Order: sequence, then structure tokens, then C-alpha cells
Amino acid sequence: MPVVLVGTRKGLFVLESDEERREWRLEGPQLPGWSIFHAVVDPRDDTIYAASNNEVFGATVHRSHDRGRSWARTEQLGLPEESGLKLEKTWHVEPGRDGEDGRLWLGAAPGVLFRTDDGGETWDAVEGVLGHETRDRWNPGAGGMCCHSIALDPDEPERMYIGISAAGVFRSEDGGESWTPANQGTAADFLPDPFPDLGQCVHKLLLHPGRPDRLWQQNHCGVYRSDDCGESWERLEGNGLPSGFGFPLALDHRDPDTAFVVPEGGGDDRVTCDGRLGVYRTHDGGSSWQLLTEGLPQRAWSVVLREGFSSDRLDPPGIYLGTQSGSVFVSPDAGETWLEVVDQLPPILSVEAGEWR
Amino acid sequence: MAVVLLPSMLAAEAGGRNRFELAAATVEDALRALPVSGLVFDERGELRPLVNVYVDGIDVREREGLATKLDGSEEIRLVAAIAGGAR
Repeated sequence: MPVVLVGTRKGLFVLESDEERREWRLEGPQLPGWSIFHAVVDPRDDTIYAASNNEVFGATVHRSHDRGRSWARTEQLGLPEESGLKLEKTWHVEPGRDGEDGRLWLGAAPGVLFRTDDGGETWDAVEGVLGHETRDRWNPGAGGMCCHSIALDPDEPERMYIGISAAGVFRSEDGGESWTPANQGTAADFLPDPFPDLGQCVHKLLLHPGRPDRLWQQNHCGVYRSDDCGESWERLEGNGLPSGFGFPLALDHRDPDTAFVVPEGGGDDRVTCDGRLGVYRTHDGGSSWQLLTEGLPQRAWSVVLREGFSSDRLDPPGIYLGTQSGSVFVSPDAGETWLEVVDQLPPILSVEAGEWR
Repeated sequence: MAVVLLPSMLAAEAGGRNRFELAAATVEDALRALPVSGLVFDERGELRPLVNVYVDGIDVREREGLATKLDGSEEIRLVAAIAGGAR
């Protein structure tokens, strides 16, 4: 059964549908009082994990084994004293691969990665990120120094990627022990050297599950594609996109050449372009982009955050976006048409499509 | 036994209980015995800055802080600071 977890500033909502994905049932809010930066259904066992934050009571991870009816919380989540750092926010939970029972990864601020091997009871900070030799050159973006993207190569169990704003993309070839910057060709127009080895403000990083050497990146300074595991990046602009600036990014699991973005005007103009809510899709690896509008509001100044965009694994894939205005739009046909399936939610921070087993 | 009263959000995290009776020598001992101590204290064991603690209606900052001694008759109330309206 298709399910979409909608994380808002005021709790978690759950949308459920059938394979048609046209009628949706809303439940929630769960976890009232918590801002849900991201939530995900672990496809291995249907557990929901939520990166939850509160201004007073801090940052944590909640988990539910019964589809949101009851919740448990990680009791102690933090950074070791010798790091001199304190946990600021939890940002993204990424379930491990099939066969990696109990393992998940958690991206957090300030630029840190955690790993659990017991299904979220306990999390350990990954030392290779926490103590990275270049950490003193990392700087926080407007949302803090967040590790917001975690991508696992499904075929190479030791290879994974993270995206940190504004440190850039890093790749590990040894299961997360050590990390190498992977930013060649991506711009940092806000730095004296616009093409440094690191310090780029990556906004979202995704790996194509069917072609794992292909990565896509929505950056502060452009949209990029890599066909060599992040060794080099090609900037995809001047080809139909109204702006290279934006946060959300979604892929089509069937086709590595297809991607979706929702551009914004720019770093000083953080609303959707041209006074409309427009999704842009490429079918040719980013050589050209097509504006998709059917069913989307054509008079709108919307904000879709980095986690506010998702795609499912059905055929055709459903594409999902949530706005800071509290609306969830669903395209059950890979972007051709869109339905506003719920409105007036609290500001939406994250949308993640999944499936109940 | 001192009584600790929790705000609704902490009560939800404590399985719906908003009232705990605890034998504790100090305010800190009482708070650390709570099942939500990880939300009251950060990873350094420091009281989170926007958590206010009142003992019989008096802010512990005006007493001995978390070291304030208890004789077992007190009511300890945790209150989330009211800070702005940005969220």
C-alpha cells in the first residue's frame, strides 16, 4: 500500500492510498510538538523513523513499529565530549541495505553522521565525518551545517555518499570509515575560488538505484549530474531551467536519465520561479528540461524544502511534493498531472514516499 | 517523595504520565530519574537552556540551581520557556 510520510513543523502526518494514488486518506498529526525534518518507512520491516526536533527539548529520532500508533525515542543521542561539538538538529534517516539488519544512518547538524546497528536504539557518531581533516573549512548554510543527504550504493556495500551544506559531497569506499570530497566541477560562487575542492553548498544529493554510478545534485549554484561516482560533475543549465537555484530533487527509478527539480529564483529570492509552482523534468540526463504545470497552481509563490520532494517505486512512479504553505501535491503519472491531495497542513518540511508491506 | 510535574510534550514522551513521585536528594537527582531525562538534559548532562525548573513556584535559579536540596515535600514543575512566536 502506498504511503507518504509528511513531516511538518508541527508533527508528522501520514497519507495512505492504493496503487492508483488518486484518493488519499490523511492521519495525524503524530508526534505533536516535534518538527519532523524527515521521516521514512524502512522497507525492510515497515518501521517508521523520524528525525524530530524541538526548540526546547532538542534533537532526536523517533521510531514506530506499528505504523505510527505508538512511538519510542532514542534515549541518548549526542556527540562525544572530546569533539567539542553538540548535536544541533537531526536531518535525515537512511535505512541500510537489504541484509544489513538493524543498520540505519542519520545525518545531522553540525555536519555529522550517525550509524545504528540496533534499529535506532543507540546511535554512534561516525568518526570519519566528525573528525574529518577538512572540518575547519566547512561552514553552515542558512539552515545550519546540516548533513541532509545520505546515498548508499546498492551494489557496492562499502560505497556511500553524504551531502553537507556547506561542505559539499563526500564519498566513502570503506563503509563510512573514511571520506573523500567529491565536488570536482561543482561551483561555489560565494567563495573566492569558485571551484574549490570542498565547501560547496549542496542542497540535495541522490543516487540512481538502477545505475548507481550516476548521481544527481541540486546545489546552491546549479543542478549537476555525475556519471562516475562523484569524481566529476556536469552542470546542467541554460537548457530550459529558469534558475539553477533550488532545493528539492527527485528521480525516476525506472530511468536514470529522468530527474525532477523545483527551481527557486535564487539565494535572495527563495520562492518558486515566475510566480507559479512549477516542476521541471528532464528525460535526457539534464540536456533539456520541460515545465510541468497541469494541476499545479499557476499563481503561487511556493517554497518546497530540500526534503519536501519524493518519488515512489511504482510504475509509473508517483512524484510527491509538499509546500511551506501546507499543501501536498501528488502526481500519479510521473509528473504529467498533479493533484492537491491535502492542504492547510502546518508548514511542510519533508515528504517521503514509501510502501507498507 | 517529591512530585515532578511535566509539560504536555514531555508527558507524551513519558507514556502519557505528567506526574512522577520520586525520592531524590536534589532537584538534579529528581530530574535525572525521569524517563525523559534525555530531553531535559543535553549530551553533556547540562540542563537545556530553554527548560525552566520551579520548586514550589520558585525558579531554581533563585535558589541553589539544580543543587537545590529536597526534603521530599516539594513540587517540581518543568516549564518550556516561552520564547517568541517565530515558530
